[in-house]
Amino acid sequence: MENMKIIPDLKQNIEKIRELAGNSSDILVNEFCAGGIHCALLCCEGMLSISIITELVLEPITHIPQKKDVQSLFQHIQDNLLLSTDRPTANEYKTLFRLLHSGFAVLLGDGMDMALAFGVQGYFSRGIQEPSSEGNIMGAHEGFTENVRTNMSQLRRRMKTPQFVMELFVKGEKSKTDMCLCYMKDRVPAELMKKIRSSLDSIELESILSTGYIQPFVESNRFELFSSTGTTERPDVLCSKLIEGRVAILIDGVPFAIVIPKLFCESFQTLDDYSFKPYYSTFIRWIKYGAFVISILLPAVYAAIVMYHPELLNSTLLMLLVESEKKAPLSIITEVMGVLLMYEVIREAGIRLPKPVGGAVSIVSGLIIGDAAVNSGLISTPLLTITALAVISGFVVPELNAPTTVLRFAFLAAAGLFGLFGISLLACAVLVNVCATEDYGFPYTAPLSPFTGKGLGDTAVRSGIKKMQNRGFTVEEYHE
Amino acid sequence: MNEITRGQLAAMLLITDAFALFCFTGSISLITVAGLSAGILFQLLLAAPLIKLGGIREKSALIFYLVYLIMWGGLLLGMQWKTSKHIYIPYENSAGIWGKLLISGVIALVCLYISSAGIKAMGRASVIAAFIGAVCIMIAAVSGIAHLNIENLTRAESGRTLTEELITGFALSGGTGSLAILLGITKGNSNKNVLTYFIGKAILTAVVTLTAVLVAGGIMEITDFPVVAAAQVSQPFSSQRIDSLFLIVFAIFAVFSIAVQTTASAYIFGELFPKFVKFRTSVSLLLIIGAAFLLWKVPLNSGIIGAGAAAALFAVPLAVLICKHFISQKGRA
Repeated sequence: MENMKIIPDLKQNIEKIRELAGNSSDILVNEFCAGGIHCALLCCEGMLSISIITELVLEPITHIPQKKDVQSLFQHIQDNLLLSTDRPTANEYKTLFRLLHSGFAVLLGDGMDMALAFGVQGYFSRGIQEPSSEGNIMGAHEGFTENVRTNMSQLRRRMKTPQFVMELFVKGEKSKTDMCLCYMKDRVPAELMKKIRSSLDSIELESILSTGYIQPFVESNRFELFSSTGTTERPDVLCSKLIEGRVAILIDGVPFAIVIPKLFCESFQTLDDYSFKPYYSTFIRWIKYGAFVISILLPAVYAAIVMYHPELLNSTLLMLLVESEKKAPLSIITEVMGVLLMYEVIREAGIRLPKPVGGAVSIVSGLIIGDAAVNSGLISTPLLTITALAVISGFVVPELNAPTTVLRFAFLAAAGLFGLFGISLLACAVLVNVCATEDYGFPYTAPLSPFTGKGLGDTAVRSGIKKMQNRGFTVEEYHE
Repeated sequence: MNEITRGQLAAMLLITDAFALFCFTGSISLITVAGLSAGILFQLLLAAPLIKLGGIREKSALIFYLVYLIMWGGLLLGMQWKTSKHIYIPYENSAGIWGKLLISGVIALVCLYISSAGIKAMGRASVIAAFIGAVCIMIAAVSGIAHLNIENLTRAESGRTLTEELITGFALSGGTGSLAILLGITKGNSNKNVLTYFIGKAILTAVVTLTAVLVAGGIMEITDFPVVAAAQVSQPFSSQRIDSLFLIVFAIFAVFSIAVQTTASAYIFGELFPKFVKFRTSVSLLLIIGAAFLLWKVPLNSGIIGAGAAAALFAVPLAVLICKHFISQKGRA
């Protein structure tokens, strides 16, 4: 199909299209006469709005007065009829099919080696709803949808400046997925744009079905525990990132945007932080930092203390733990591992199962297994409390849930083998891995290391909006 | 480009110095504190040729630093081996030879991973590790206030003169080798970079040694590792102990200090043999492990190590400077 020109003869043309489409049932061909010329309107079933195509395309076209040839007919349509706002033309089958599959209505005329397309898309898609993965109290309750153009409009509604640019392009050899590169042209570092474009050029995927297909191409090749690109489901959050000079990629069919670059500290920032008073936001932010550490280290530290360092506990607490662990038949490390593994199994079951059954899983796991395990003495109560605390703390920063889960197990294994010494060694390795994470020269650990004092205003604390307004921060400040 | 910042340079070197202090054997007295402090001032003055050079890049000099860094890394690994039983590394068979080997092996493995991540990553991580270490040291120092005895200042005797303590100060300054190499890849003014490091070193040495004298001065004669003993004596609570806090700092500093030597050695390998890219970190670490086996009986505060540190800080940079001067004179002629 590459560079194959459109055949002027309508009959042959339609046959060729059917052949190229493999007689696909969703390609509809409506043949009619317009201005005395034999024409055909092609469309893809379910991809366009019937009422729009009837009202705006078919109705005006069939009322065109007699024309001497197809060229003058097409000229008349182009010059005198405003059938839709988006009116591209196609000279090759490749373009024709891309338009057809994107929901355009394509007009062919007998004797014309060119096709007119009208943007009358009207396929069914999910409407704008509240984001499910990024909860928020004070901010907007609109999230991205699966339609890239709707997402673009959501961004434009919030950024009414010509400095905000959205570049549409197509990727995916088979899926021909619409993607959109968004940036503020006065804020984004030129070098970053150049590198991102070059990374995107290297994509040779057959299909793009989620953000995970694109992220590896815009992230560094080395093994990184934490992702150096972020995702967001919220247009307002994305706008705040774009204003800071970041770049976003929207993918058609995916209600998430990829944000480049991403910093570690951003995982702890939410839109609500900027709605509440700074002192409260700072307090909440430190709660989140604490929760993150607890979610990774608490089970490991518990196991290390009970197994190797009981001197760290005061006598009352020590006796309490001894008393409860005495009754448990399994070793502490087996107990913790078992409970954590069970939790992961239950969580996965809850996500994958249909929602009504998912609720049943919670009842069975929480009430029956949990209660029975403690009552039967299989698991000690303090251990279950510790595990539950660690898991709940992990929910505070949902963005980091994947690395947190794996690290929790890794630290637990290190604690079981070498106690706090093992935890310290693994912490060193993890710390270096996190510090080595960088994307296009933007260190993931900025502004902590490399240290940027100014950056702490929205990291260690949450400065007032007035103060931040004067700062004029862009992400380029962190570039190394 | 693989460049580090002033803070990162200081953090990497201070971690090495702190670890050397933790592994310090023998007694610490007020004279030791004075000797070490004077030694730092003296070292700052001796660093003038190095500051002028802005780091060592000459291939012939790099060979000396490669040997020196491997030796110093080996000494640190050996000291970790010796100190570990006093720190109580809780592995069930850690007291036996196989347990110790396993622990050293795990440390070496982590060092290899850290070093292979590159100088930039290590520099960034060192700042955070140094911060954590500083907090833990401050907790230990503040805890020590309750057990502090002013009489210990006069009671503690090291049995060494001020000159001997000055040499000890040099012997504990093996980080000067890394300073000479890493200074060349540090952003900013060399004067400020070196001064920042020495100021940090002076504060660290003063806090650690003074705390050790004030807390463990009374038991100095019966303790092998005075800094470790001071950390063990200073407990903030009556019903629970915080020795493990020191264990965390010890483990982190051990790993980072050996990794700094490995990374600096790997960097020199890269400069000397540009085609040798793939396994230079592993080779550096293997050489350090080999050096540890050779040098494990050598005490950290011996005169020969002090002489090595002085050569790395002053003699070799001075020789390079003189050579450069003569070469430029010859060129002009």
